[in-house]
Amino acid sequence: MKRVPVTLDVNGESHALSLEPRRLLSDALREECGLTGVHVGCENGVCGACTVLIDGAPARACLIFAVQMQGHAIATIESVARGGALSPLQQALHEEHGLQCGFCTPGLVMTMEAWLKDNPDPDETAIRAALSGHLCRCTGYQSIVAAVKRAARIARERA
Amino acid sequence: MSGFSSIGKRLLRFEDRRFLTGQGAYLDDIVAPRCLHAHFLRSPHAHARIRAIDAREAAWLPGVRGVYRGADLAAMAKPLRMAPPIEGLKPTEIAPLPVDKVRFQGDPVAVILADDRYIAEDAAELIAVDYEPLPAVTSFAEALSPSAPKVDETLDDNLVAHQSFATPGCARVFAEARRIVTRRFVQNRVTHAPIETRGCLAIWDEGRQHLTFHVGNQAPHPYRTQLAARLGLSESQVTVIAPDIGGAFGQKIALYREELACAALARATRRPVRWREDRMENLAAASHAREDACVTRAAIDAQGRILALDVAIEEDFGAYCFFPGNYLARVVALMTPGPYRIRDYAYDVRVALTNKCGAGPMRAPMSMTSWIMEGTLDAIAAELDADPADIRRLNMIEARELPYVTVTDQRLEDITPRETLEGALAHLDYAAARARQRADRARGILRGLGICVVVESTTYGSAFYKSAGIPGSGHETAVVKVEPSGAVNAAVGLMASGQGYETALAQAVAEGLGVDPATVRLQIGNTDVAPYGMGSRGARGATAGGGVLYLASQALGEKIRTIAARELGLNDIGELRLAAGRIERRLAGAWEATRLSLTDVARIAYLDPLRLPPGLEPGLEVHKAYEPPAMTFSNATHVCEVVVDARSGRIAIERYIVAEDCGTPLNPMLVEGQQIGAVAMGLSGCLSEHVVYDRDGQNLSTTFADYHLATAVEIPHIEIVPMHTPNRSTPAGVKGMSEGGVMGAIGALANAVDDALRPLGIRAEALPLTPIALRRLIRTATRRSAP
Repeated sequence: MKRVPVTLDVNGESHALSLEPRRLLSDALREECGLTGVHVGCENGVCGACTVLIDGAPARACLIFAVQMQGHAIATIESVARGGALSPLQQALHEEHGLQCGFCTPGLVMTMEAWLKDNPDPDETAIRAALSGHLCRCTGYQSIVAAVKRAARIARERA
Repeated sequence: MSGFSSIGKRLLRFEDRRFLTGQGAYLDDIVAPRCLHAHFLRSPHAHARIRAIDAREAAWLPGVRGVYRGADLAAMAKPLRMAPPIEGLKPTEIAPLPVDKVRFQGDPVAVILADDRYIAEDAAELIAVDYEPLPAVTSFAEALSPSAPKVDETLDDNLVAHQSFATPGCARVFAEARRIVTRRFVQNRVTHAPIETRGCLAIWDEGRQHLTFHVGNQAPHPYRTQLAARLGLSESQVTVIAPDIGGAFGQKIALYREELACAALARATRRPVRWREDRMENLAAASHAREDACVTRAAIDAQGRILALDVAIEEDFGAYCFFPGNYLARVVALMTPGPYRIRDYAYDVRVALTNKCGAGPMRAPMSMTSWIMEGTLDAIAAELDADPADIRRLNMIEARELPYVTVTDQRLEDITPRETLEGALAHLDYAAARARQRADRARGILRGLGICVVVESTTYGSAFYKSAGIPGSGHETAVVKVEPSGAVNAAVGLMASGQGYETALAQAVAEGLGVDPATVRLQIGNTDVAPYGMGSRGARGATAGGGVLYLASQALGEKIRTIAARELGLNDIGELRLAAGRIERRLAGAWEATRLSLTDVARIAYLDPLRLPPGLEPGLEVHKAYEPPAMTFSNATHVCEVVVDARSGRIAIERYIVAEDCGTPLNPMLVEGQQIGAVAMGLSGCLSEHVVYDRDGQNLSTTFADYHLATAVEIPHIEIVPMHTPNRSTPAGVKGMSEGGVMGAIGALANAVDDALRPLGIRAEALPLTPIALRRLIRTATRRSAP
């Protein structure tokens, strides 16, 4: 299949690539950009493991072709811990034991980082609804819910 | 639990940081140069003869490097012969890839190697397979009908395993019983669904004649044994490396055909070969579990005492035996009596092959055990109009009866079922909950309470395997080393897939040795580095793995103290200890620092061996094996309170409580994480998961939009009540856990829904309890009662 040029702007870095138009953004991020924190769990848009931010909004990287991303800013899990310091949400997930195998973690971190900006003081029902777009097979979600609550509290205290 | 300095601490996980920042290294993150991508063409039929495969067009596609059929693979690898010498089990054999017949929809028929996965999938569409469809067997009942087509044509019929047992007096007790309570339980076919699918990367070194095989596997050493044997290689020609695993739950134990094919083809093509399974393949063709039906009959006296119990289990095992057919259902039968006084008992376990994906162990392989026992107790209570808690109290063994040997020869010791039962009921305020239920019933609200007492078989010792007639060994091995710098490396034959071993097992080492857990590096998942162990299965990690690491570390600690004693001119090492990496000496009852650190001792042991006490070998390294008791048990009581919406069939779980005794927790935070995760998996399987096949054997649940894993909205808040007591016969008193939560959740939820539906005169006996299923049940009841 014919390749087309596309420049991906990922985590503030520019990647000039030549890709088949059918190449999924998830595959391009993992294989061409080396960002293997983008996890592929279903390639169907259901599990949420591949979630990245596109212009600040969460999106499934497995449901987008990489060539559609010209001119958009993409952020992956690799960009979240700034200067090596965990974000309040990452730190809270650590402290609440909000991850086990870690495979679903990057995707849900991306969704909830964006969601917490719009929902600085969420209750448990709202957190559970927001998390429902992510499948976790290990934790039973309870510790993730606790971590989101804790992260929101920390962010509010810092604000 | 007192007296430990590292074990029992709520340490945050050492492994978290890499996972939180996207730096975990899972299978598909490993890069190999010149790698070929494998894709498997799969059968669209449930049962069909393969007449011919024409791959010419596919082979011409640019980027395709080869297409291989079953006949090609048969020349490169040996079949899997499953023939343990077990009475009632028929031997079976699985070819590397099917040659002349496919047995389920999703069975692989050819493998394409190409420069990338996209091209490999393009090529699959160009392969023409000439199939002759055969009638498919899609249920247990069909499988055993005399006219059923044979799933495995080398067998006389589809009944692959049949085992039964009865105490001598059992039939007479039933014959003379005044009351017999019968109940039926139907468990749904489910699948593990780890969020990371299967996959592998095979790298053949032609010069060294060596295979390096990367695969996310729970038991790397037994896997290596099998992989080497099936490729005709020696075990020193194969290194299995398990990277970070994105969930396994029992699905990543067997050597699958896809993995074997990649290994064989890497060797044949002399190029690295990788495979990444997609979700549809994972749901359709990896491994399924739990499709069992069971009928229990309990002979009871007027008060509800069980005089005899009879259990008949039927299991639909699917098309292939990657595990012996009796591996799961037989153990359900052995464990069903649980903590109850049952002296007369009979079981009959039949396992049939069908044209569906093969079954295997899934987190709580004996998941049905607690539900069938506890559901039977509820049926007895309903029959006598008695309180379900009282019926349990009446039949349950008391602390003073321990150790108690069950009717199937299981020795129950150091368990606390009565304590957790009362603990869970008190935490709920059982009387208040029953009062809520009475009030709601008067208003037509379907409120139910479910109790499920769980006795979880955690660590399977070799003696259990032998006596249960299933193949396996229960021992585990470890190597603990203090390196010349004082760094601690500890290796064990387990492999983690989310349990937090790098933290919890480091705590076991730190405890045995007397160092800070943060200084212990755990080496797992590489068969060249870790000693040969039996891997992570069941709930053996803490007892077998933690146990052997603790023992090895203690032995190494003794050597360190022996060297230190000589340095300090002391005769008695009992007056010395290692704490946080320093040698301390007891003086007048108090511990005081000496001039020596662990690093000083390590330097002597490695670099100045002439200073060692006579007879002591240089170096600081201990290799140890540990054989656990025949079986260790954890126990718990789950209590669940639900309200069923009669109009929608939706279940609202209002309370969910687990009172659990799982011995000494290595790390209580991780234990709680496992408990809650297991409950969630049990609830999810009960509420919404269902692998559905139609009558032709077409799998209708091959995406996550059709196979419903519960989300954060469906899973309730789970309240854990820790009631741990140590096991006196294991290192550090560990019992193990992580599967009982699944067992308890199935029983507690199903019993609660059953209790809620009681006023309607209906029974929830088949899982999953989806709104559709419940609504259908409720509609029949309402129709029946309508004038």
